[in-house]
Order: sequence, then C-alpha cells, then structure tokens
Amino acid sequence: MAALGEIFAVGLSWRTAPVAIREKLAFRDEELAATLREILARLPVAEAMLISTCNRVEVYGVAVPGHSANAAADALRQHLVQGRGAPVEASHAMYAHAGPDAMQHIFRVASALDSLVVGEAQILGQLKAAFALASSEGTAGPLLTRCIERAFAAAKRVRTETAIARGAANVSSVAVELAGRVFGDLTGKSILVVGAGKMSRLAAKHLAAAGAQRLVVTNRSINKAEALAADIGGIARPWDDLAALLVEADVVISSTGAREPILTHKLFKQITKQRKWRPLMIIDIAVPRDAEPKIGDFDGVYLFDIDDLQKVVQSNLSERAKASEDAVRIVQAETAAFEQWLAGQHVVPTIRALREHVTNITQAETAKLIEQLDKREHSPAERAEAIARLGQLIANKLLHGPTTALKQATGEVARQRAESISAVFGLVTADDATPTEAPGAELGATPTARA
Amino acid sequence: MQNLPVAPSIAHVATPAVSVAPSPAFWVAITLYIVAAAMMMLVLGRGAKAQPKYAALRRVVLTTVVVAFVAHGFDIGWRGTLGVHPASSVRESIGFLAFIITGGYLLASLRFRLTLGGAVVLPISMLLLLVARLSPVGDDPSVHGSALSTLGRIHISLATLGIGIFALASVLSAIYLVEEKNFKKKRFDTMSFHEAPLEGLDRLAHRLVWAGFPIFTVALALGTVWIAKLDAGWDRPEYGLAVATWVAFAAVLLMRTAYGWRGRRIAKLTLVGFVGALLVLAMYLLRRVF
Repeated sequence: MAALGEIFAVGLSWRTAPVAIREKLAFRDEELAATLREILARLPVAEAMLISTCNRVEVYGVAVPGHSANAAADALRQHLVQGRGAPVEASHAMYAHAGPDAMQHIFRVASALDSLVVGEAQILGQLKAAFALASSEGTAGPLLTRCIERAFAAAKRVRTETAIARGAANVSSVAVELAGRVFGDLTGKSILVVGAGKMSRLAAKHLAAAGAQRLVVTNRSINKAEALAADIGGIARPWDDLAALLVEADVVISSTGAREPILTHKLFKQITKQRKWRPLMIIDIAVPRDAEPKIGDFDGVYLFDIDDLQKVVQSNLSERAKASEDAVRIVQAETAAFEQWLAGQHVVPTIRALREHVTNITQAETAKLIEQLDKREHSPAERAEAIARLGQLIANKLLHGPTTALKQATGEVARQRAESISAVFGLVTADDATPTEAPGAELGATPTARA
Repeated sequence: MQNLPVAPSIAHVATPAVSVAPSPAFWVAITLYIVAAAMMMLVLGRGAKAQPKYAALRRVVLTTVVVAFVAHGFDIGWRGTLGVHPASSVRESIGFLAFIITGGYLLASLRFRLTLGGAVVLPISMLLLLVARLSPVGDDPSVHGSALSTLGRIHISLATLGIGIFALASVLSAIYLVEEKNFKKKRFDTMSFHEAPLEGLDRLAHRLVWAGFPIFTVALALGTVWIAKLDAGWDRPEYGLAVATWVAFAAVLLMRTAYGWRGRRIAKLTLVGFVGALLVLAMYLLRRVF
C-alpha cells in the first residue's frame, strides 16, 4: 500500500438540513457515477463514494496523500454546493469530518444510528448500493473499501447483537406486526380494505408483502375501490356487501372519511355468530374513527385505532433508543479496531523501504564477494575469512546510517534517537541497569562486569 | 384418572408398600427443573423486547430442560429395573405424568417459543415428580403393583397419558388466555408475554384435546369395567369427578365442532376440564396419605 491519505466525510442530513435544502443537493441515480469521476478529477481526493437518499447526501472519501483531509473536505463542500447550484444555507448545513471522526460517522451511518428512525434497515442497503457503484467506477480504493467493509461488519454486529432493529417503527408495519400476533403467518388470510385512502393502501401493501393473499377493497365509490384494488392486486366489491365481507375477513383495514362509525356494535352483533368466533383484527386508521370502540368487546375481535398503533410505534422506538446505547459501544469498538489497523498501515511504507535498503546492501556486497572469489582459486581458510568479512561489511553498512544519525544528534534529539534504537534492536545499555537488576552496581560493580 | 378402587378383597391381599428410594437421576432432574424454571423467569422478566443476548439464554434453558427430561427418563427406567413401573400405582403414574408433560412441552417448543409455557410447565413437572417420589407411600393398596390387575395397569397408563395430553392443552390454553387478555387490553408493555400467535396456540391446544380425548375415554371405560369386576362400589367422589372431566373435554370438542366455538371460550372450558382431572388426582393422593 502506497502512502495513505486521510479519510473524510462531507455532507448534510435530516439532522442539519430541512428537506427544502436536502432536495437541492440531492443526486439522481444517473448522476452519481459522473459526479464521482468529477470529484476525483478536480479535487485533491484519491477515493470517493457518494450516497444520496431522501434523508442524507454524503460523500465519503480519502484525501490525496500530502493533502489534509480538512482541505479536501472544504474543497468538496464548495464543489457540491456550487455544482448543484444550492443556496448558501446548504453550505452552512453541511458538515465535514476528518480522520477518526469521519470513520466514526461512517460506522454510525451504516449502523443506522444516525438515521431518522434509529435501526431502520434501508440505510445499509443504500450504502451497499453506493459502495458498489463507487467500486465499479473505480473511485473506491483500498482504504475506503476497507473502511466501508468494516462499517458493514459493524452494522451487522449492531443488528444481530442489539435490539436496535426490533419492533415496527411505522403505523403500517405495526399493523402487520399486530396481525402476526394473532395469525402468525398471514399466508392465505383475507384482508378487507374499507375505504380507499392513502393509509389503507400503505397498510394493505404491507400486509400483502407479509403473505396475505386475498385483498378485497370496498368503498362507497366503487370506482375508487377498483382503482385501489388494481393498485394493490386485490378485488373491488360493492359497499352494500360490507356485512358479508366482514364475515369472510381475517383482517380489516378501515380508513374512510365517514363522520359516523361504519363498523358498529349492531353490525358486529349480526355477524359474530356467522363468523363462528374466528379471530378478526380491525385496524381503524380513520379520524374520525370508523369503528365503535365497544366492538372490541366481542370474542375474537381485536380492535386497534390510530392512537393504539402510534403507541406501539413509540414503544418500539423507545426500545430502539435504549438498544442504541449498546449499538454505540459496538460502533466505538469497531471504529477503534479500524483505527488501529489504519495506524499499522501508515508504517508499511517505512517497513518496505527498510527491507529494500537491507536487501540492496546485502546483494551489492555479496555480488562483490562472488566476483572476487571467481578471480582465482581460494583455500577453505581464505573462503571462510572472506565470508566473515562479508558479514562485517554488511553490518557496518547497515549500521552506518543509524550510527551517524546518533553521533550527529545532540540533546533531547540524541536521547530520543538512542531510546528508539535501543527499543528497535532490543538493546540493553549500561544506563539501563537498575538496582534490582544489578544490585552489584550499588556496591561498586562495573557495568562491564554486569554485562 | 377415574378409578383406583380399594375393594376389601384387594386390601386384604395387599402386601406392605415397598418404598424405592429416589435415584441420583431423580435429583439431577429436580435440580435442573429448578434451574431451568428460574432461568425462564429471568428471560420472562426481561421481556420480549429484551436484548437478543437473551435468545442465547433461551437456548441454554431449553438444553437444560432436555437434560432434565433425560434424567427424568433415566429415573423412571431405573425404577423399572427394580420392578416399579409407571403404571404400577397412582404414585408412579404421577411421576410418569410429569415426564409426559415435560416431553410434550419440549415437542411444542420445536414449533413455538414457549418461555411463559416453560415457566408454568417446569414447576408443575417438578412438583409432580417430587410428589411421586417423596410423598409417603401410605397404606393404600393401589400403590402396590401386586394389587393391580392388568386391566388396572392399562387403565392407569391410559389415564396418565390422557391427562398428560390434556395438561399440555391446558397450559397452551392458559397461555392463550393471558396473551389474549393482554392483547385485547392493548397492554403493549406486557406483550412481552407474546409466546406464539393466538390462532396457533388455539389450534394446537384443540388438536391436543382431540388426541387426548379418545385415550381418556378408553381409560374411563376400562376403569368402569375394572370397578365392576371388583365389585368395589361406586360411591367415591373421584368417579363422579372423572366423568365430569370427560364431559368437559367432550364439550370442548362438541362446541368447537358443532358451534364453531374457539379462542377464549374454548380455552376456559379446557381449563375447567383440566381442573377436574387435577381434583381426581388430588383426591387419590389425599386418600392414600390419610
């Protein structure tokens, strides 16, 4: 690995910018590749990936070696704002992290700790897509790749070792979760959608995705019912069939605009026996409510209104917040491990240069010796002497640099160099002697004697 | 468990009870039942939204129950080598009943996560096993293998099996009632007791009643024949209670099949039937001790 640049992260998110600003900076999918290439071409950036979602626009990058990450981040910030023609507020809303802060930020984002809904799963998929694009475009180099891979690993740990992703975090998902508590697998269950509102559509789609196969829509306007049925892959039935449809249904999602309850106690009294007490889950997301609260008293009828669903959402989010403390600890540990790895990578060039230096000296001196030996016949004693001399020569040449550096240094520099060399070669000098190690020193024994 | 008559003729031929000391496997089983029940309480206390690390603890608990179950089986087998068989007396059958209940719980755990069920089942199994092994032998001739005919042994075996299956159905019904009440009352904080889908619990409990009912019916019929053969009289309250238990479980099946009853109603009726079965058992035990 060549000399490494420093990692940085630049961008804005729901935390720092309202949607009016985020949308100015957002990228369409087809713009991402060109933007990445442009960043690498115009700015002191060696590696980069770009993520653009409804909640964040961020670039994770590595500064060109020799350039500071902060300078690269500032240049990128200006480039993004000017390039997108975004207002000056966008620049103010943007943040830039460099070095360990940037790594921590990337790990937090991947683990959904920085998400609007903590623990949500989409961000990881979005990051993977962004990374795949950067890899295919060749803008993600070894350092960024390693960083992102470790961020994904941290995210996996967070999701499996903590409860951060548990429990539905929106009303539609809660409807599915609650239905699951009654029916378990929703395969083959019949869903009745009463009313053709947007919320009904969302909830019905979630239930269909969870395995519900029979979706029936009824609405006062049959046209709207047919439109929604076509959208969610169900069938439309006339409003007059409501009672019969309730007999067949397992889950009812109701969100009409009616001013008076539609799912009345009287109606349920009629249908309960026909249903033979089969469980019926009613999700009433209408305001005003479509269902009379007392129908929830019937055996096997489970009624949840919008407030109930919101309470579940809040409860789940609260649990996620508690779990995020554990998640933060995991992210910190993973970030620290990555930093440690990175610190190790910074000395790699030095190690490589040192090896080359030693190899060059050894090869040069060995070649000279071989040349001398080839000139004439040598006795075994002469050969042995030549080999011993070779060793001495190599040692002298290797030690010439460090010895000169030590002799030329003075004061604190000399002391530091001496300590470094002692540490590197594991030397024990006379000054290292301690009373414990060499009790004789106090009694007048010489260092030589101890050595 | 309908009848274990104390006919004068039998009492006359009965030999003194021989008490077989509990085996080391019994103590292992009891210890592990206690440990597993305590761990299940701990898991329950943390709730369903607890950290996933408790999932690992659940696996440990189930492993503990499996080991306890095996030890329990060893204990029964060991007693068998000494000539004391599960069907040789009410006392022995109770130990076997505990074994059936634990085994059924483990089988059900393959399908559902039944932490609450375990917290209920394991103390019951432990208690039954303790009663079976440590309660006084007493002087009821029904405790002597020698006092029982083949008919009596078959009756006891089938009744034990039937009640064991009813016990599992009842545990599931009890879980259903707790879970359903919490769900109905929208106690989301206590939804931690969410064990399995309500419909799944209801269906499984019903299947168990279907499985246990024919066995219990045959046991009851054999018991009736047995009493008639012994000419021991029909004046014991256990007999009436056993019939009432049978009627309760018959009602469970009838109301479900003919009228579509399910859920809360059926769960309550199942529990009524099981309480009857427990009372029959309790009467036999009390009669033996006093």
